[in-house]
Amino acid sequence: MELLIVITSLIFAALVAIFVKKRAVIEAISIVASAIIVVESVIIALKVAATGSYEQYSFFSIDSLGSIVMLVIACVDIAAVVYSVQYLRKETDKNIIGFNRVKQYFILLNLFSAAMFFAISASSPIFAWIAIEATTLSTAFLISFYNKPSAIQGAWKYLIINSVGLLLGFFGTLVYFTSVSLLGETGLITWQDLLHNASSMNPLIAKIAFVFALIGYGTKVGFVPMHTWKPSAYGKSPAPIGALFSGALLPVAFYIILKFKAITDSVVGPEFSSQLLILFGVLSVAVPAFIILIQRDYKRLLAYSSIENAGMLALGFGFGGIGVMAALLHLIYHSLVKSALFFLSGNFLLKYHSAKIANIKYALKVLPVTSVLFIIGVFACIGMPPFGIFFTKVVIFSAGIKTWPLVTVMTLIFVSIVFIGFLKHVSSMVFGEKPTDISKGEDSVWLIISPLVLIILALILSFYLPPFLHILIDNSVLHY
Amino acid sequence: MQFLLGIVFLSVIYMHLTRLNISAVVSYSLQSLAIVLILINSYLETREPFLIIVILTTLVVKVVLSSVFFVGLVKRKKLTFSASNYLNIPLTLILIAMFTVVAHSEQFSLLTNLVSAHNSLLSLSLATIFISLFLTVNRKGALSQALGVLSLENSILAFALFAGLEKSPMLQIGIIFDIAIWIVIATVFISMIYEHFGSLDTSLMKKVKN
Repeated sequence: MELLIVITSLIFAALVAIFVKKRAVIEAISIVASAIIVVESVIIALKVAATGSYEQYSFFSIDSLGSIVMLVIACVDIAAVVYSVQYLRKETDKNIIGFNRVKQYFILLNLFSAAMFFAISASSPIFAWIAIEATTLSTAFLISFYNKPSAIQGAWKYLIINSVGLLLGFFGTLVYFTSVSLLGETGLITWQDLLHNASSMNPLIAKIAFVFALIGYGTKVGFVPMHTWKPSAYGKSPAPIGALFSGALLPVAFYIILKFKAITDSVVGPEFSSQLLILFGVLSVAVPAFIILIQRDYKRLLAYSSIENAGMLALGFGFGGIGVMAALLHLIYHSLVKSALFFLSGNFLLKYHSAKIANIKYALKVLPVTSVLFIIGVFACIGMPPFGIFFTKVVIFSAGIKTWPLVTVMTLIFVSIVFIGFLKHVSSMVFGEKPTDISKGEDSVWLIISPLVLIILALILSFYLPPFLHILIDNSVLHY
Repeated sequence: MQFLLGIVFLSVIYMHLTRLNISAVVSYSLQSLAIVLILINSYLETREPFLIIVILTTLVVKVVLSSVFFVGLVKRKKLTFSASNYLNIPLTLILIAMFTVVAHSEQFSLLTNLVSAHNSLLSLSLATIFISLFLTVNRKGALSQALGVLSLENSILAFALFAGLEKSPMLQIGIIFDIAIWIVIATVFISMIYEHFGSLDTSLMKKVKN
């Protein structure tokens, strides 16, 4: 029942945004829907922690990792909706957007969230594929939201690259079906069917299928070299959408890859998928490291940081052992912190009307709370203690140092470059000479609440994990 | 079946070569019609009643809807000629030949022998997948890129049908629904690209700064 409530709440909120003409009603219903989702996600997570899985009819099934991702999406979603209300009001005040755009925004935002929940809870890989494709379709217009030529360029690139990537992922998914089709089964093929019939799959076919699935869904995650859509899409979309892309969509796509990894591992052993994940992981840390160093746009900077963190996740799961546990925690911390950073980037954009790092000066005085939170968020993101990402990075490196020493040392160097790049950019943004045409002070306390809560949550979870979350993580480590 | 798949294969090659947007759209519709006929053949073999719904929705979405949207767009915006390829025609043809050879090679024999009776059909479907992918990458025009994506989906569907990989009609309808929305969104975007850039040439978009 809980899952149906989640999806129907979001679809109801989208329908309200279509048919209701009062802005306050649209905003209120969206906030209520996302609050319901948080509650229902916690209930589902508690049930999964108690029983191992949550199933509804034959269409929905959530395991431990799925419920962790669901909790992450719920947290980022409510933060994004709360932030969006005030963010869009400020943009309306400045005549950047009109009421129709606001309606369009809330319709697509709610559909986007519904598609993500559907993707992680679908019992069939094809349903999951349809839902992931639906995330592409619902967000394309959010990237071109401001209707500028560069935004349309970014949205088109996003649409084409992701569609091609997902079609390759679809092909990989179909190839996995050979294990079930050969047994003559018809109808709805579920993740469980694929896992149970893995032994009847030809190992070489399993490898081919995984390569396609990894490239396909890896495009959505943003692994290098399929990452090229990411900087434009993150950079051109409204700040809360960037937060959802990085904090929610990335874990969803990664979750699907891990599902395929589990099936492939049961056919050919873990080595093959691990090697591929490590390859994509290293590339995804190395390339952004150098681009971050010379980046000139702070939203694109955050986009490259997301690619780098996706690389860290891939390395954690690729190294295996304790690295898997660290990668799971990294996924949670990164989603919370990176979403907060995207919200804060929205505050900079509202105040300075520019996404160029060079145009953001003296922010510590102009936007004191935003700047302090941004500095904390960046420290958390690059892995400074006491934040959890410090711990997860150390554990991922220690998991890799024995079996992959060269890769680990190289990645450590790239992570250090990211560290230097971020510090360089942040110091130039928060200090420097005061611009003459910018007024001091935060635009609204409501633009602070979402990032503040997410950073506090990330900090609390760095020291304390609730027992049910502990169980979910332990179970996920066993399965993935 | 060989004949129908031949149409699917040749239509994507024609999409590579043609300079007229209308011809490319018609070529895609023809390709989709061939897919519909393959589905009808599948229905005649299985007599699965749900497959009739799949056939009808495929016909409506891929043959009718795509033509209505894309031809309407081409006529409305007077987009007679497509933007050029990144590679010239001789090089394009050489690469198409290479993709076809690769798809028929030993490297992919595992995939093309999934159903040994359909070996040549699966090889040709795989070649069509590669060539469709190449179409999306090689063409500069936004409409051609969109047709490349749709052709890729048709090729994968053809492969799945001959390999007997996906038999759930409900899922097929879900996929076609996705494709329908994709066609609508792609049409809107192509229209927006033309309005903002005065051309469908995506290579010009890279120069934009704002």
